[in-house]
Amino acid sequence: MSITIQSPPWRVGVDVGGTFTDLVIADSEGRTEVFKVPSVPADPGEGVINALATACAALDQSTKKFLGDCQFFLHGSTVATNTLLEGKGATVGLLTTTGFRDSLEARRGLRKDPWDHRTPYPPVLVPRYLRQPVGGRIDAKGSEIEPLELDDVRSACRVFRAEGVESIAVCLLNSFANNSHEKAVAALLHEESGCEWVSVSSDIVPIMGEYERTSTTAVNAYVMPRVASYLTALQERLIRMGLKTKLLMLQSNGGAASLDQLIRQPVNLLLSGPSAGVGAMNHLAAGIGENNLVSMEIGGTSCDVMLMHEGRVAITDSLSVNEYDLVTPSVDIHTVGAGGGTISGLDGAGLMYAGPEGAGARPGPAAYGQGGTRPTVTDAHLVLGRMRPGPYAGGSVSLDMSLAEKAIDKEIADPAGISRVDAAAGLIRIVEQNLLHAVERISIQRGYNPGRFMLIACGGAGPMHGASVGRKLGARAVYVPRQAGAFCAIGMQHANVRRDFVHVVMRELNEEVIDVISEGYKKLEGQALDALKNEGFEKQDTEFGYELDLHYEGQQWDVRVVLDPDANPDDIRDAFEGEYDRQFGHTNPDSRINIAKLRVVGIGKLPALEDLKFDAIDEAVTPIETRPVYSESAGEFLDTPVYRGADLYSGHSFLGPAIVEEVTTTILVGPGDHVSVDELNNYIVTFETED
Amino acid sequence: MDVKSPSKNLDPVLLALTQNRLDHISHQMGWVMVRTARSPIFSQAHDFSCFIAGPTGEVVSQADGIPIHTGSGGFGVRAILRDFGDELADGDVYLLNDPWEAGGNHLPDWVIARPIFVGGEMVGLTCNRAHQSDIGGGAAGAYNPAATDAWSEGVRLPVLKLVEAGTIRKDLWKLLMLNTRTPHLQDGDLRAMLGSTRIGMERVAALVEELGVKTAMDYFAGVLDHADRSVRAEIAKLPDGIYEAEDRSDNDCFEIRDVTVRVKLTIKGDNITVDFTGTDDQILGFKNSSLGNTYSAIFTALASFLDPHLPHNEGAFRCVDVIAPEGTIVNANEGAPTTMCTVFFAHEIIHAVWKSLAQADPERGCAGWAKNVFGISVGKEKSGHPFVFYHGAAAAGSGAVEGRDGFNQIGHVCTLGGLTMPNVEVYEQLYPVIFRRQEFRIDAAGYGKYRGGSGCDYEVDILTPATHSFRGEGLDYETGYGINGGGNGAPGRMHLQHSNGQTEGAPKFGLRRTDAVRFITQSPGGGGYGLPLERDPGSVLRDWRDGIISESVMKNIYGVVAASDGKSVNIAETEDLRAKLRESKA
Repeated sequence: MSITIQSPPWRVGVDVGGTFTDLVIADSEGRTEVFKVPSVPADPGEGVINALATACAALDQSTKKFLGDCQFFLHGSTVATNTLLEGKGATVGLLTTTGFRDSLEARRGLRKDPWDHRTPYPPVLVPRYLRQPVGGRIDAKGSEIEPLELDDVRSACRVFRAEGVESIAVCLLNSFANNSHEKAVAALLHEESGCEWVSVSSDIVPIMGEYERTSTTAVNAYVMPRVASYLTALQERLIRMGLKTKLLMLQSNGGAASLDQLIRQPVNLLLSGPSAGVGAMNHLAAGIGENNLVSMEIGGTSCDVMLMHEGRVAITDSLSVNEYDLVTPSVDIHTVGAGGGTISGLDGAGLMYAGPEGAGARPGPAAYGQGGTRPTVTDAHLVLGRMRPGPYAGGSVSLDMSLAEKAIDKEIADPAGISRVDAAAGLIRIVEQNLLHAVERISIQRGYNPGRFMLIACGGAGPMHGASVGRKLGARAVYVPRQAGAFCAIGMQHANVRRDFVHVVMRELNEEVIDVISEGYKKLEGQALDALKNEGFEKQDTEFGYELDLHYEGQQWDVRVVLDPDANPDDIRDAFEGEYDRQFGHTNPDSRINIAKLRVVGIGKLPALEDLKFDAIDEAVTPIETRPVYSESAGEFLDTPVYRGADLYSGHSFLGPAIVEEVTTTILVGPGDHVSVDELNNYIVTFETED
Repeated sequence: MDVKSPSKNLDPVLLALTQNRLDHISHQMGWVMVRTARSPIFSQAHDFSCFIAGPTGEVVSQADGIPIHTGSGGFGVRAILRDFGDELADGDVYLLNDPWEAGGNHLPDWVIARPIFVGGEMVGLTCNRAHQSDIGGGAAGAYNPAATDAWSEGVRLPVLKLVEAGTIRKDLWKLLMLNTRTPHLQDGDLRAMLGSTRIGMERVAALVEELGVKTAMDYFAGVLDHADRSVRAEIAKLPDGIYEAEDRSDNDCFEIRDVTVRVKLTIKGDNITVDFTGTDDQILGFKNSSLGNTYSAIFTALASFLDPHLPHNEGAFRCVDVIAPEGTIVNANEGAPTTMCTVFFAHEIIHAVWKSLAQADPERGCAGWAKNVFGISVGKEKSGHPFVFYHGAAAAGSGAVEGRDGFNQIGHVCTLGGLTMPNVEVYEQLYPVIFRRQEFRIDAAGYGKYRGGSGCDYEVDILTPATHSFRGEGLDYETGYGINGGGNGAPGRMHLQHSNGQTEGAPKFGLRRTDAVRFITQSPGGGGYGLPLERDPGSVLRDWRDGIISESVMKNIYGVVAASDGKSVNIAETEDLRAKLRESKA
């Protein structure tokens, strides 16, 4: 393997996915190299170490030397998510206000699909007998109306000890307005509970709404001991091996934070990994001068869709993981069950479906020969000549054409009375329709016209569908990063440190409230600055974003605007009504406006990685082979040139149909699609226009 | 072109693409509605449904929308075809609400329907049914508990041509705005409905153009046929037979007296007949069901019983025959008050259909969802600002099914729990109230292998004088029925505690004005599924540790003995006790 990266200091990004662990190294000049090794689900850290070993072997240097030369080491980890999904978290005790210990279990009645009433809620994270009441009451304005009963905390501690509670969560009513009771409870717990892990709702997420705040705090408490011990052990191991810098973790908000800062707030890690796509989007936007982008990252089981409008990827507060409802700043990602392993078949009444069920890493697609018998997207690509039989994914599996054919014949073609090729092509059409609908959904639901966006096709399986979906969408162009298969790990190379801080206001917008706003911002700025100082940033390397969550009086959801911190009430009203009008198509000029929350986003800027620009070369390129590949638009197999990615440089261009085989992905373009390699050495697919 | 010809030799891929696309379009109409409507009820509670009908008025897609809106959209569309069939033109839009004249379900739900033309041919209609903020009538807010006829509930609309050749009829628009107390909301909401059906119309037209009219119609028919086959396959699995059941309310909105829905369900092969002959006569109050609403309630019961993932288009209903005698509470005569019917008697209809289906297939039986007890408090804040406070958090427990205990605190069965509860902290910000308690009840859940939902203890102080409108359907009698040996959930209770300490029972219906007062409510429990002695002892122990059941219920009903540490089951003693309890029962 020829290595393009040359000289340290290195920047390392490691993304541990369900199937592969991707490690990306950037060198001092901004060149990057991707290393892919199989993940080790039983011990994800082992996958990280294996990836390091592979990279060091390729660089022909010792791990100690390599790690010693690392300037930054960023990590996206699913350990928090898996702890929650697998139900392997801690035994948690919860302290709540007397009379209100059930909000965590009643869940406000929220269910994903009301029609599906037979499916129970996921197990409640804290059983009722470990949800203990504490007397004392704060009212909606933040005034104490009943004093705190600390003896209740003491008796709860006795219960917790007797029940082997490992982690304690505290969420008292209206603590967002006044957290003095929660603070007093926490202080007592630190003295008397003997429990190392305490999560307090006003620290974790000081927002209004006791169900979501309790749920978020409980999830934090539930995953904290395991996440902390796993990540601490990994950091210590890397330091023993020679790493001289702190481990930076990717958070759900798409920014990084050091492990020490996050260890007590692991709830911020539930989207660690997928959220790194934001870094990649930011970088691409700057590099290609386009700031309206939709990314479609397709892996083995699902497709993550993310939207950037005018250079901003939306951050939302609400995240649901396996129906556990969380409020934590998270990149707005819409996920659909459409990936390489997505299963297809006929339902009981003869209708064909594809997804959302997937074959996972095991057994995986039928062609893997690991016991899967149901046809998947990968099997269809094989039958259609889009993928070739034999070793796949770095040789970790081998694709067997006859198994793919058998699965498609048996489950679709024979019972439906259609040909094998029609069945395979149909399977792909249905999946691509799902992808198209997913992109339309994330744009239309949020008030954007999808046709105005450039589509980024990424993930190992994305570029196989990018051109086709882009064409149907009416997208201006489809962009395929050369290292599309390691999109998130690449994205980590472009992440900054980011910490979000929120303060609930709940006041009408008028002249008097301006002081409240500036005081609130001052408090949040202080918090943000402290946090960034702890990360080692000087003031000149920081940046602050100021946001307001606003709504018309009586409404219960907010519209977020980004504004100067010293905006006056008229500016605020204008900004709110502008955004409200964009999203909802009207304004209510007579209505009063309430300020729900203030936010400060603190950014610690890591040194930017320069883009390498490549001069266009004027040299013909020849395909490595021409083979018959099924074309949907032609409705038949066409002789299709296959290019090797390594042969294509900036300046190359050609017309489809064509296949480009890259190290981490395969790109498919249809007849008439125009492919060119830009100066960043990535691919752009454009479509001939009718006029 | 004969659009009624049965579909055959359809490509399964194109069929799937067509169905998915239609469903996507009806979702898309919903997104547009949420984004553009004025009333918060649409973005917060999603109290609307978007659907697409074919050229004969059969609903081909209703992916978006709440259960009690599903299954009856075709009535309105067919009324349009009846009244305007020959003169439907591109650019026209129709509006309707009347249950008798125009195929509506109840007066507050207005339907906007827009015909779709491709190549001069009418290929279908895109429709949006949405709950209006106010429709005139005797009370603000579209619910008039004192109504004894339809005219006191609001304005009755036949099929109206609201938009003619792309232009809104100003005279009609003014008429509508004059007949609502909230024209600023209704103007915006109707425009949002128009916008969502226009987007839907454009998308359906594009689909039909892509496929060609003939092919598109074949595939629309194919989508309906597929739903028909899917439901028939499920019905055919049920044993042939006649299954009878009933469910009752204990009041007619003015007096305490039993009012009963009676169902005779006949399953023969892959057909099903739902016969309401014998159901009680319509009542004075506003719970009477229209035929459209009765269809929706049947559909909700069937779909939730059989398989919630079955298609929700009208093809799914072809194998169902409904006999609903006129003048009864399931098909009230013209002019009867009906506003409350989407909740009650929908609830009783769903229960009665569930009970009869459970006789055909006990394993899939659904225990009863308790009826809600909450009402509304209306008053003025100290600032003089008016408030309307729904006691919605005092929600009841749902019934259990095999494999799932009841939901402890959940919304109405007619939405299958789809309407959710706000946080206490949000209520306390918005209203002059302080909550004192909101916790699961003890020993109120219907016993069973899977127990019912517990219901809740709810206490809230209303801090100002207020007028309370009561809706105590779930009070004083058991409404969450048990099934397959499961027990009924406990009835609800409601008291008012005055500042002088005096407590009085709350009425089931009617209005009451009080000074500051504490509402003390125990919402009713849902029904249990299966015999309590078959409940997993670990789950029983957990319920006891959780305080959902008392020690005596654990022992005497469930036959479970805790080990001395109180953390595990004493298996030997539990087996002995269960054997003894079984014997004494036998």
